[in-house]
Amino acid sequence: MSSHAATIDHHHDSTTSTGIPNKKLLWWAFLASDCMFFGTLISTHLVYRMNPPPGNAVPTQIFNIELTSFSTFILLMSSLLMALAVNAIQRGNVKSTRTMLLGTMFFGCIFLGGQVYEFTHFVVVKKMTLSNSIFGSTFYTLTGTHGTHVAIGVLLLGMMYVRTFKPAAGGGLMLNFLHLLAVAVAAGVAFIWFVPGMIEVVYGASLGELFSHHAKPFLVGAAACAALFWFARNSSPVEFGEKNAIDVEAIGLYWHFVDIVWIIIFTAVYLLEYL
Amino acid sequence: MSAPASPADAGHHEPSKFHFYIAIAMILAVITGIEVVLVYLPIAKWIVVTVLCLLSAVKFMFVIFFFMHLRWDKVFCTILFFIGLILAGGTMWALLHLFGAQASKPLSAAAVEVPAAHLATA
Repeated sequence: MSSHAATIDHHHDSTTSTGIPNKKLLWWAFLASDCMFFGTLISTHLVYRMNPPPGNAVPTQIFNIELTSFSTFILLMSSLLMALAVNAIQRGNVKSTRTMLLGTMFFGCIFLGGQVYEFTHFVVVKKMTLSNSIFGSTFYTLTGTHGTHVAIGVLLLGMMYVRTFKPAAGGGLMLNFLHLLAVAVAAGVAFIWFVPGMIEVVYGASLGELFSHHAKPFLVGAAACAALFWFARNSSPVEFGEKNAIDVEAIGLYWHFVDIVWIIIFTAVYLLEYL
Repeated sequence: MSAPASPADAGHHEPSKFHFYIAIAMILAVITGIEVVLVYLPIAKWIVVTVLCLLSAVKFMFVIFFFMHLRWDKVFCTILFFIGLILAGGTMWALLHLFGAQASKPLSAAAVEVPAAHLATA
């Protein structure tokens, strides 16, 4: 076999009769079906917005367009980092892939944290719950479903990140599990407590009060981050490499999909209300 | 026999699209900024809605064709995804028209509109 044939050619990895790798084909089929799922949720929201029952919530009095625009920007930038992660692994650069995956997860957590803050603010301050108005029902169902997709995406990215550390010699299953646990805990603390707390600080809350109120989760999150640094110190040879480019690309497809869904939601649900 | 990876093989890597992706992301960010500013401008509503829909479509296409690599993948992936997209678009169009009809409006909304219509004709 020639040396050229031994290298990996992603665009000619013909594992199906279509010439498209199975994993990629599966993800594209899933994303096509997910389009229909979000299509119905967006239409339901729009149908009730066009025919609002009396006493329905007034969206412009509830929304915070600056925060939502910032969240949109963050999600777009996370898509950039995801594309760079795929680019890095296609060039066999595992270290850069890890950095980009972590960056994508971090931006995903900022987006989710923004949504946690938004939902909390809408329920506690604006008194809009899931059940007290049609607008609340359709809005929370649509944006909540999208947020769940983002959260699943962060978890998938975390699994891919941990996988990049799988030792070439085999074994290390328990270590990988603990690593994934640390990723999940750090991400959870970031988007449930840290990011919403920091947004409150931006809007005038005291930083000291934030840390005293959420001392326990912040300590757990700090411990998880310390564990992540400790796991990342491992410099032994790893199994992960250029041959796994298709795996990173498949997760990337999902991540970009949640981005494009948000592009539609941002216009249809938020921006059109301001006209 | 399989030969060990030689320095020449390094040239067989995917070409880096780093700067290209940065450029695409900047375009997307600028479009988002334009969208936010647009809703506050004193322009006719139908123009703003049309431009917002167009800009969203442009962002959508940029992401699927460049970030999701549809431009460089086999055309079957594009067809597969667009089948879902067209079905979703058709479903949305049908739902919005079905429930836009007077008979399909929620009872509470119709109850408000019908007396108002009577008053207007009286």
